Formats: sequence, C-alpha cells, structure tokens
Amino acid sequence: MLNEAFMNKIWVIAKREFLVTVTRKGYIFAVVGMPLLFGGIFGISFLTSGTLEQSIKSGSGPIAVVDRSHTLDFELAVDQELVQESPTTSTEVLQKAASAKPKRLVSYTDLTQAIQDLKNGKLSAVYLIESDYMSTGKIIAYSPERGVFSDLAPPDRSRLYDLIRASLVKGRIDGETRERILAPGKLKQMKVSKQGEVENASDAFQKAARFFGPFSMFLLLTMSIFFSSGYLLQGIAEEKQNRVIEVIWASVDPMELLTGKIMGLGAAGLLQVALYAGMLLLPAVTVFALFQVSVAGLVLSLAYFILGYLLFAGLMAGTGILGNSPQESGQLSAFWTLLSMVPMFLLAPISDAPNSWLARGLSWFPLTAPVTMLLRITSGQIPWVDVGISVVVLVVSIYLAVRGAAKMFRAGALMYGKRPGIGEILRWLKEA
Amino acid sequence: MPQSSPAIALHSVRKTFRTVVAVENTSFEVQPGEIFGLLGPNGAGKTTLLRLIMDIFRPDSGSIRIFGHHFLTEDKGRIGYLPEERGLYTKQKVQAVIEYLVQLKGVRQPQARIKTLDWLKRLDMVDVKDRRIQELSKGNQQKIQFIATVAADPEILVLDEPFSGLDPVNARALILVIQELANNGKTIVLSTHQMNLVESLCRRVFMIHHGRQVLYGDLEEIRKAHSEKAVVVRSNAVYVDCPYIAHATANGRGVQILLKENSEPRQLLTWLVEVGADVQSFECAKTPLEEIFIKLVQRK
Repeated sequence: MLNEAFMNKIWVIAKREFLVTVTRKGYIFAVVGMPLLFGGIFGISFLTSGTLEQSIKSGSGPIAVVDRSHTLDFELAVDQELVQESPTTSTEVLQKAASAKPKRLVSYTDLTQAIQDLKNGKLSAVYLIESDYMSTGKIIAYSPERGVFSDLAPPDRSRLYDLIRASLVKGRIDGETRERILAPGKLKQMKVSKQGEVENASDAFQKAARFFGPFSMFLLLTMSIFFSSGYLLQGIAEEKQNRVIEVIWASVDPMELLTGKIMGLGAAGLLQVALYAGMLLLPAVTVFALFQVSVAGLVLSLAYFILGYLLFAGLMAGTGILGNSPQESGQLSAFWTLLSMVPMFLLAPISDAPNSWLARGLSWFPLTAPVTMLLRITSGQIPWVDVGISVVVLVVSIYLAVRGAAKMFRAGALMYGKRPGIGEILRWLKEA
Repeated sequence: MPQSSPAIALHSVRKTFRTVVAVENTSFEVQPGEIFGLLGPNGAGKTTLLRLIMDIFRPDSGSIRIFGHHFLTEDKGRIGYLPEERGLYTKQKVQAVIEYLVQLKGVRQPQARIKTLDWLKRLDMVDVKDRRIQELSKGNQQKIQFIATVAADPEILVLDEPFSGLDPVNARALILVIQELANNGKTIVLSTHQMNLVESLCRRVFMIHHGRQVLYGDLEEIRKAHSEKAVVVRSNAVYVDCPYIAHATANGRGVQILLKENSEPRQLLTWLVEVGADVQSFECAKTPLEEIFIKLVQRK
C-alpha cells in the first residue's frame, strides 16, 4: 500500500540518488563532455573534410589550360559564372558553401612553364588539350601529388568542360538551345508513395534531417537508458561493497529502496536527455529549422525510454547485487547490455524496413523491444498493434524484473564471496 | 503495545543457508526498557539472529514478534540497528550521511538536521560535521555510525559489537550513553564479546553456540547456577574443624571455601556463629561470565 511513510522514504532515497548522481564526475562528463567530444570530432572532421574537399577540387591556385587545338575562347570563362544558377534549395546552399570560390581558368601556351608553376604551387591543376582534340577528345590532366586520397580524386573538370561547351556553340547555336546545352535542366524531384500518391520530394538535406532528427533522439534516449541503469548498477554494487546496504536495509525494505533508486536515477537520466536536447537538438532546430521530430514520435519515444529504463533498471539492480564489487557486477550485467544492443547491430535492416518481421519480432521480445521500437519510430509509420504488444510485453517484464530484483536483494545483498549459481538464483526468485 | 508484551520475542526460530544451519530452535524474549545481552563465540549465529530480528533475513520456520506483532515495514522506523560490519558513504560528508540515514527512519528533514546536530554535539563530534567520512579515524567513524543508529530516537536499539574499535575513553562515553538510553525506556539488544561490559550493563542474557541456545535468563541466576558451592569469607575463624568444608584457600578478599557435596552455605554460616567467629563478610562466590562462556564453548 502506498502510504505516506512509504512515499516519504522513496522520496528521500530518490532525492539523494538524483543529487549524488548528477554531481558524479562520470555524469558531468557524460552530459557535458560527450557532446563536446562528439561535437569536436564532428567539427574537426567537417573542417578537415571541407579543406580536403576544397584542396582536391580546386587546389590553391587557378587551373591552367594549354589549348593546342585552339578550341577554347577564354573570354567565355568569365561568363561561366553566369551559368551557375542562384541557389534555391538548402542542398544548393550547402553545395555552394562547400565549393567556396571557383577557380579561374587561365590560358598557358607553354606546358613546361605550366607544370613548373604547378610544382611551385601557383596552379592547382594543368590541362593539356591536344591538337587533335576535336577528333579524339583527348585531354591530359596534371595535378600535384598530395597523398593517397587526394590523388584518387581527379582535378575539377566541370569548369573546363563548361568552357569547352560554351566555346564550341559560340556563333553556331544561340538562344534557348544554347542555354539548354550549357545548363541542360533544373531538376525537380517527385516522390511516388506506396499508395501511388505523387508528392514533392524533399531536397537531400531535408531528407537527411528527417532521418537524423529522430535518429539523434533515438541515440540519446538509448544512451540514456544504459547510462542511467548503469549508474543504478554501480550504486548498488558500491553500497554492497562498502556495507552500507545493511544499514539502509534496516530502515527500508528492498522494494522501497529499489523504487527510490529507480526514480532518482530515472530523473537523472531524463535530465541528461533534456540537457542533450538543449545542447544539441534545440540549436539544430533553431539553425536549420529542418529537424523533423513529430510530436507523436517524441511522446512515443519518451514512453519507450521510460519503459526501457525501468526494465533495464530492474535487471541491472538484480544483477548488481550478485557481484562483490562494481567491476564484477558490471561484468555480470554485460549479458543484458549485449542482448539489448542486438537491434543496434541490425540498424540498417530495421531502418530500411521498419515493419519487417525481423523488426516486429525484436519489438515483441522484452530485452530488444525498447531499442527496436525507438529505432522503428525514427524510420517511419509503425502499426499501433506493434506499439500495443511491445508496451504490454514491457510492462509485464518490468513488473517481473523489479519484483525479481527485490527478491534478489533480500537473498543476495549480504552474500559475499562466492557468487551464487543459476540454481540458487532460481531458488531465491521462487522463495523470498 | 500492551505493557506486558515483550519488545522482541523469538519462538522456535530456524534459519539455514544452503546446507548450513545458522540458527536452530531458538526462543527468547527481550523486555521493554532492558539491556539484553546476546553472547556467543565467532560464527555462533549472533549476527544472523540480529538480522532475523531486523527482518533482513526471514526465518525458515518459527516466529519473530516485534512490539507484540509480526514484523511490519513501519517497524523499521522504530528500531535502530548498528551492524557489526560498519557501512557508511565514505566519500560524503558526516552531517549529510547521518541526516540521510535518520530521514530513512521516517524523520522529516528539519527534525533530522536538529537531531543530527544534537547528537554530534553530545558525542563531541560537531567539529567534523563537514568532513568526509573517509577522512575520519576508525574510532570516529564508529561514533558516527552509532549516532546514525540512535539519532532517529528509535524505541529498540540492536547494537552489534558497538565498542569495537573504540579507545577506553570513547568506549566509556558510549557505555554511559547506552545506560542513559535504557534509563529513558529504550530497549537495547547488545551483542558483544566483552563479557565485563555485559556483566555491568545487562540484567538478562542469551548465549548461542553453533546456532543453538546454550544460556538464557537472568545473569545473576546464570552465574549462580554455574558457580560451584563456594563462598568467600572474611573472618578470624579456624576452619580445620569445620565439617562442611572440602577445601579452603586464602585470596585477597578473604578465604575462598569450597563446600562439600551435601553442604550448604547457610550451614557454614551457622557453624561460624556457633564457634563465635568474628565474621566481617560472607558472600556466595559467583563464577565470572567469561569463565562460564569459555567453559560452555569448550565443552560444546
């Protein structure tokens, strides 16, 4: 019965667990350090990839063209800027941003001089258009040696090709035909759904955002489930190791202790999610206004976060009490963690087909249900029957896990030394 | 609780762990307001008994009644427990740890703070209230653990080796506190190996060995029952002609006289009067508890 004294004790335990956890170094690192770490890695890789891309694409100077065929009209190279369309989509914004300043095409007559300038870094690439180009189409590209990955990418050819096209049609073809040769099309993508409805397809960035918004939510909720239940495991193992558990137990019963701990650490987990959301998701939404996390998806994700956390908290608590030290308890709990991570290993097939039998089956198995459902929510519409089944399975499993953990507490909290065998654990679960 | 109900009553309690019988057919009662001694050698089953009383373990059979009824979760707030294996949150500060443990007994936070500070002052520990537990000496940690046990003002105190790790000065201070608590009506179960303390603090005792009861009852009665027929007399009598004496040896307190099998102390006293001896003192010799303890343990 939930009387006042029971609730007071739970509140006292929950408050302490919350405060102790959120002031732990590990928690602060997870909340502040992890986003900084990931942000740093992302930022560095973004910057380096941008620099690399730029250096691959355009090098550090203009592109020299030695035109022995006399096909090119270099005055048209300036007009090429006009051929570039004004960006109308966010994809083009990104592309424009990534490509930065386009490099000039400059005419060289002496190939040896051009190669010398390339070697000295004055040029980013040299193209030699052979005198028989019109009959053979032969062009030779020279680029500086930069490393394995850079060498794999050929120098930017598009400007040269644009100039060749412009030079070839000059005086021969005018008007709209010329325009279409130079800029063949403005592509608009349409999407045909399985129901046969034709809709505007989002541009690539929006599409990515539609995936990455919920996927980020999935990742941080999943991480928080394991972080929070991990804190519970560590806390219980520490209390057993430093013998506080017997003192605590003289004042509260295992169910009160577990409920208080689960509530306090769950709140710490939710705070972690909220802080991540504040640090990562909200700025992303503000900046791009494109991350798409539906309200229903968000509510459902939070529900699975809570269910997942409660299940793993029960399992971790029951396991934590078996070890003689936090390290030993951690090793024992790896069994649950590995099982629950199965959907992460099957991320691609579940994301591609969120309503496949594989995904549905994993949603109905309690240990894999939380992560699978969180993942499926990010990937599209899921049948309500699956939501219903997984919720029922999880609620029943949580009840059994927490009850089992309370029994394990009673039997195993003061047992030191040799770990109990499976037979003994089963006997504990049956008795108590 | 009716006045006549024992504070704690165990009846035919049995507890086993795997194949080991820790407690077998054990029964005793602890009366309200008494200091009850729980004795036994290491591994006898004392700690198991205390954990059974605290509802940390549940008996395989038999019954345990607290305040006249079967243990209820609410009773945990009425019993303070000092386990033999001390346990505190060593990385946290003294006052915070005590306050938390007091609150777990059902005391609200403001009262918990007042009680904590009162007890820290009482045991001269207020200066360390903001220090981390791990920074304290073992003896001071022990005192903090004791404060955490008593500060919630429980009706029953179950103390498992409360004096271990304490120097004589602090042990003396704790003895006085325990006596004062008993005088104020608290029921105290005291488990210890220090027989002199049991003799000075407890009126009744229970001794367990190999999980079974070997002694139970009034301490004076037990000592008398385990004493040989001996008296210590201080007088000017010459005992050579006394028909009741088997053996007489002088000691610092007088002459220790071992009586013959069928003789009684009162017969000796009558003889002393008849021979006109000047008797300064006459007392039945009682075997110290420690001797009884050792004798019983060795015999078993």
